[in-house]
Amino acid sequence: MTRSLRERVAAVVRIARWEVERSAGIVDRRTAVLGVLALVLAGTILGAGAFAGGVALDRDIYRVGVDQDSPYREPVERSVALDARPPDPDALRDGDVDVLVREGQFRAADTPKGRAALSELRSAVRAYNVGLMRSQENGSAAFPVVVVLQYVSRSAGIPDAAVADDDGGSGSGIGSGADGGAGGATDGAETGSDGTTDDEETAASTGSGGPLGVPALSGINPLGGGSSGSPAEIQPPFPFGSLVLAFAFLVPMNFVVQAYGSTMLNERINRRGELLLVAPISPGDIVAGKTLPYLAAMLALTALVALGVGGSVVAVAAVIPIALVFLAATFAGAMFARSFKELTFVTVTVSVFLTAYTFVPAIFANVTPIALISPLTVVVRDLQPLESVTPGAFLFATGPFVLCAGVLFLLGVGIYREEDLFTQRPVPLKFLDALDAQVSRPRDVAVLSGLSIPFVFVAELLAIAVLFALPVSLTVPLLLVVVALVEELAKSLHVYAVFESDTFPRTRRVALVLGALSGLGFFVGEKFTAVAQVVGLPELALGQAAFAPSGIGVFSAAGLLFAPLVLHVVTAGLTALGARRDVRWYAAAFVGSVLVHTAYNLTVVSRLG
Amino acid sequence: MAMIRVEGLRKTYGDFPAVVGSDFEVETGEIFGVVGPNGAGKTTTLKMLAGLVEPTSGTAEVAGRDAGDPEMRRNLGFLPEESPLYEDMTPRSYLQFFADLYDVPREAATERTESTLDRLELEHRERRLGDMSKGMKRKVAIARSLVNDPDLLIYDEPASGLDPLTTNYVLEFTRELADQGKTVLFSAHNLYHVESVCDRVVIMNRGEIIARGTVPEIRAAHGSTDYHVFTTVSVDGATPDRRSESGAERYRTVVPDMDAVEAVREQATAAGGEVVDIRTREQSLEDIFLDLARETPPAAAEGQGREPKASGTRARAESDGRAPSDVDADAIQTDPEGGRRQ
Repeated sequence: MTRSLRERVAAVVRIARWEVERSAGIVDRRTAVLGVLALVLAGTILGAGAFAGGVALDRDIYRVGVDQDSPYREPVERSVALDARPPDPDALRDGDVDVLVREGQFRAADTPKGRAALSELRSAVRAYNVGLMRSQENGSAAFPVVVVLQYVSRSAGIPDAAVADDDGGSGSGIGSGADGGAGGATDGAETGSDGTTDDEETAASTGSGGPLGVPALSGINPLGGGSSGSPAEIQPPFPFGSLVLAFAFLVPMNFVVQAYGSTMLNERINRRGELLLVAPISPGDIVAGKTLPYLAAMLALTALVALGVGGSVVAVAAVIPIALVFLAATFAGAMFARSFKELTFVTVTVSVFLTAYTFVPAIFANVTPIALISPLTVVVRDLQPLESVTPGAFLFATGPFVLCAGVLFLLGVGIYREEDLFTQRPVPLKFLDALDAQVSRPRDVAVLSGLSIPFVFVAELLAIAVLFALPVSLTVPLLLVVVALVEELAKSLHVYAVFESDTFPRTRRVALVLGALSGLGFFVGEKFTAVAQVVGLPELALGQAAFAPSGIGVFSAAGLLFAPLVLHVVTAGLTALGARRDVRWYAAAFVGSVLVHTAYNLTVVSRLG
Repeated sequence: MAMIRVEGLRKTYGDFPAVVGSDFEVETGEIFGVVGPNGAGKTTTLKMLAGLVEPTSGTAEVAGRDAGDPEMRRNLGFLPEESPLYEDMTPRSYLQFFADLYDVPREAATERTESTLDRLELEHRERRLGDMSKGMKRKVAIARSLVNDPDLLIYDEPASGLDPLTTNYVLEFTRELADQGKTVLFSAHNLYHVESVCDRVVIMNRGEIIARGTVPEIRAAHGSTDYHVFTTVSVDGATPDRRSESGAERYRTVVPDMDAVEAVREQATAAGGEVVDIRTREQSLEDIFLDLARETPPAAAEGQGREPKASGTRARAESDGRAPSDVDADAIQTDPEGGRRQ
């Protein structure tokens, strides 16, 4: 190809423009108008709901008979779930009210609803009283005891617990003097929790810059069953609000990739894309041109969401790699799938896996550095005003995603040619074709092994994240086996693919050469995982177990610098010898390599203590 | 000057040979036919020349450049056998898009598109392609192949699946293009089409070229002339001739050469009869093709007849999914009009 960059960019832009025009042409005007109307309607409803104080499914479900002059009248009127009615005793008997308040006495209907109404009234009064106390100028008179919570990292060896650094202890009795006639509804344990919430609310509310703001929910664990009884039982901070808003970034992507996958597969149906391949443009131009509008759509949606939830440029920059992986995985899936049915399976799998991979670690954004395996953690931290993201952490979270996306696009473009595009083969065989398409010379095997590193990195980080919660004595050996499995697979799969397609002769000498090259390429690529150090992952026991055998973080031990090279060359050579024969031999050799690799890992980890 | 030069062109899929060492040249302004049954290697050959399929070995040059070179493709109009269009587009938008891809200036593209559609008598230029008949779609596809005003046109089965009227129209149009100086590489398994428009022909079977030249040359080299000898009495091998113009009884004997004619004359005279008429009949290209196909030795292509590996990575059938099949009459289309040219 002797075409200039300008010509290539022009070709990409032409195809992108055509893709937009075609996509727009597929949706007829009436459908487009209806779609816009539906969006406007949904937006109006949501906006009205938000304006009216949020969607309340329990609005006015309990009726309380209370006098206009009663001090309980205002708490009832302020409560969403309670509806104030005249205090008529007959109404209680007839079932027209659920609770009756007369002369400081409470009478509830002897029904489950009556009891629930009474409980709700109690909560409403308590909330009203706390609000009154907060409005007092003299805060220390209203809340004489202050509990300050400080969370520390688990890896620092300090047990998980709230640290109460004042004389307030559990805070019992705080509310005793502030009931103000609320009927003694407050107890000490509840105020302990309240104090925590208050503290976190203050932190969160100071920086929620977006129009919707960040709900001040940090510190509350909605999965933990509500308030805790003592500070020792307080759960680590759970950035629920930030997570919900961060999830909003992922939702549009799931829709965009459906359309993107369809347009890619459409080129393969009935050889439709053949004429583009004959045009004086490269497959890379075609793929880039067809991808560009969908990437642009994702960027626009991400920017809109960021604008809505108050995310900064950092949040947008962290979401872009996720968008790239969504698109790249969908593209590769569309290149492998034989039909729209198969493509649907692929895109759903991609969506579920990527959503889970990015969302679940982000839950622990404030707890452990492992959470940074997901770029969404960066978004969550960005949405929390007191959290900051270092450049190193940003690189750690997003780098593997960008590299994975690049490699997936590379694999897909490799088979974007007549010979592969229109053939119908099972997805696993197509995947092997894609690997084989990247290899024309022996040294390409080394390059491909190196390119597998981002996937290996992601898989190993995922293993760490999954095993993180278990006892170290159990998870370290387990992790060492998983690491060996992942790495041996990454070193051998493409070697098996090239032998299966007879790209190279199946001789023992060729197998050993390819194995050695694969091991070497992997060794070199592996050194790039040193990025793990920037976020301090090797300081964790599991991080050390996963990366130390590769020489990461232990460069001072000279032997360990080259020992991994010997290991990778030997095990890759072993699997290559099996791969040159057939799939059974490959499987047997693979198991052998995993065992050797695991033994090596155990030795290294035990030596390091 | 040769527009196309092919030497030792070979393509294998796994251990399946789709094309076995082809050699040929196509002169500028020529209509060159590639003939053969399904699985003969025609489409693979054409796709290698269009740069769509990479040859396993050998060279394919188009206008002095390697096939597949982007500059070569800029000067190429390719019409695949199946040319599904983007059905949500109109002919105008479809042609304009391809003109853009070939860097044809907007004004020139519009002018060329309209004139080509005029020549192809294609109306409804703003109708969705998905709503058009197969013949109309084929015309749009042909117009698309001309949008960049190429010097070389590679047409794979251009009249495939079309009705006789549209077929004739397409063949005449192809002839017109050659008259304008364009080189046309034309593949078909309908031999009538090939005989009617092609200046020269190669016949392929099982991946290799088994005959080449102009139709008369092929006929001379591989065909034969039959002598139909009509006698008033029956001789050895004679059959009653029911088409006697005078109504008198006579017999027809078909022999391969003049010596045999002389032998028939002697037999008839000995039996008290005489030779009343002698006529000659040349074999059609189709007859020659069938004879050649039957004669092609199985060893000509290694591994021929084997299905590609069902599993494994890269072994696959010819990209259009056609594995080589034994040559039989069903594999060859005959003249849609039902007749053969004599």
